[in-house]
Amino acid sequence: MNSKKNVLWHLPLIIIGLVALLPVVFMISNSFKTLQESYQSILNLIPTKPTIDNYTTLNHQVNLIRLIWNTFFMATIVTLGKLLTGLLAAYAFRYFQFKHKSFIYLLFVATIFVPFTIVMIPNYLVIAKLNLLNSVIGVALPQLCDATGIMIFLKTMEKIPSSLFDSLKIDDIPNRRIFFNIVLPILRPSIISVGAMFFINSWNEYVWPTLILKDKGSFTLPLALQNYISSEGGTNFPLAMALSSIMIVLPLIIYLIFQRYILNSISNSGLK
Amino acid sequence: MSDNNATIELKEITKEFKSTKVIDQLNLKIAAGEFLVLLGPSGCGKSTTLRMIAGLESVSNGEVLIDGDDLNNKANDGHTIAMVFQDYALYPNMTVYQNLEYALKVHKVPKDERSLRLESILETLNLTKYKDRLPSELSGGQKQRVALGRGMAKKSKIFLLDEPLSNIDVQLREKARDEIQNLHDRNKQTIVYVTHDQLEAMALGDRIAVMNDGIIQMVDTPDNIYKNPTNLFVAKFIGTPQINILDVKYQDGYLLIANQRVVRVKQTANIEPNDYLLGIRPEHIKLSKESDEDLSIPAVVTKIVDYGRFTQLTLELDEKYTIKAVTKDINCNIGDTLYVRIEEQTSIIFDKDSQKNIYWDRV
Repeated sequence: MNSKKNVLWHLPLIIIGLVALLPVVFMISNSFKTLQESYQSILNLIPTKPTIDNYTTLNHQVNLIRLIWNTFFMATIVTLGKLLTGLLAAYAFRYFQFKHKSFIYLLFVATIFVPFTIVMIPNYLVIAKLNLLNSVIGVALPQLCDATGIMIFLKTMEKIPSSLFDSLKIDDIPNRRIFFNIVLPILRPSIISVGAMFFINSWNEYVWPTLILKDKGSFTLPLALQNYISSEGGTNFPLAMALSSIMIVLPLIIYLIFQRYILNSISNSGLK
Repeated sequence: MSDNNATIELKEITKEFKSTKVIDQLNLKIAAGEFLVLLGPSGCGKSTTLRMIAGLESVSNGEVLIDGDDLNNKANDGHTIAMVFQDYALYPNMTVYQNLEYALKVHKVPKDERSLRLESILETLNLTKYKDRLPSELSGGQKQRVALGRGMAKKSKIFLLDEPLSNIDVQLREKARDEIQNLHDRNKQTIVYVTHDQLEAMALGDRIAVMNDGIIQMVDTPDNIYKNPTNLFVAKFIGTPQINILDVKYQDGYLLIANQRVVRVKQTANIEPNDYLLGIRPEHIKLSKESDEDLSIPAVVTKIVDYGRFTQLTLELDEKYTIKAVTKDINCNIGDTLYVRIEEQTSIIFDKDSQKNIYWDRV
């Protein structure tokens, strides 16, 4: 009875899994085709004459190391910034009593619902005034704080019983130590999963970096990819697929390493 | 004033949460080295009082004095007060040893001194085996001992305990109670202990402060509180089975139940012809099978519970009152009629309106 039920449940899951996997397989297989073959039989999953020419061509056309480094650098700064500000803000909301606390928190959370298109222009103007156009810092700066992080971290911190904080208060433990010695270790799983989420989002980010980064030397991977699929750059499909395949490697590694935490999600904080 | 304990004085303490008075003008003096138990039903303000002593809760009005000094002026050295919480509040990311060591480390107690102190605490609390475990790998009783140990490690002058035993098994509770008692005998810290369990209070306290509705109803030794409660609340709250309360009338030197004389009152100073409440503890009710005394009244047995050590009888008196009696040596069956006798010595008389014990100063 039970196993029958399991099969019934797994069947749709397997189908959905296959559907989700298809584009990835499609991307990887086309990255090993010649341009001609990809035009003739784009849906063929296994290339008739696999070739790594696309990868070598890519390597000649763009500085791959530089691209990966730019993207990694930007995503790391943004992720660290979001984590740090999120954790500090959540700690303040959890630990301190101050006037209009819930109202201020509401304002923070409300920023999640402001569409990017609305802040895009003002942010651009500020970055331009600061003379940070064309730099990774210019891309990262407006993104160093994110209310999503505050919200998730606060929810996790709320699971830490008040008595723990009371006990630390009676023992006269300074805030700095409470934050680093107690709160951060307890929140470790949720920091890792939220951090991975931030990193992958930032790694894939396209619109905002396009506005700021003009110089090819400071391009990130999604921007470089654009060159191969836009009308101006001409469409070399296998080349674009090869670059896409390179692009997913790092997020994939991150996911594989931390999937245990990501799956456990934010609910498991190590308490109790 | 001494090195290992301190006096606590609460002066006219009032605590309000959003215009609700939780504590109302509370006065309490706790001597150095005393073991005081705050006892009361949940929501009576006992935990709030403890948290105000700890400085975790601000005082709306009044003063908390530690060794005569205002709590807020005390140097924050982390050595004055230690507290054990109901849910233990252990640091989940640290092992047992690290939990005990943490506050000492932060306050720069030298390493040798630290390990010396902790080894002996782990030894006394039987935790040496578990010192490298995380709190999540411990049972409730073990966690409770770690929490206790963490409080002990600080060698504070004042030790506050907030219902430390309420989350552990009944069987372990007595053992834990002994540990706390031993701890106090050895270190002579000033201990304030909050509980809603009257047995725990009776067993541990040098004195008990019984609280209700944010007011201390009575502060006295366990014995006095049991024998001579100030008011009806204290009488009912202390003692299992609960004290019997009967409507009585005072007339011509006698207390009457349903117009029948039951108690002859010799101390007539505070009493005048009126209606009163008579409190009598179940173990003080004398039962006999024959009506050999002139003041005894008949009652019908409606329930018998044999606890082995004693038998608890439920009796119906005058078809109006249900009373409980505890006895060892009477054989009876449900439906039997027994004769109940109440002695003046053990009867407590309460005023009907104020519910105060009118012989409060008797003892």
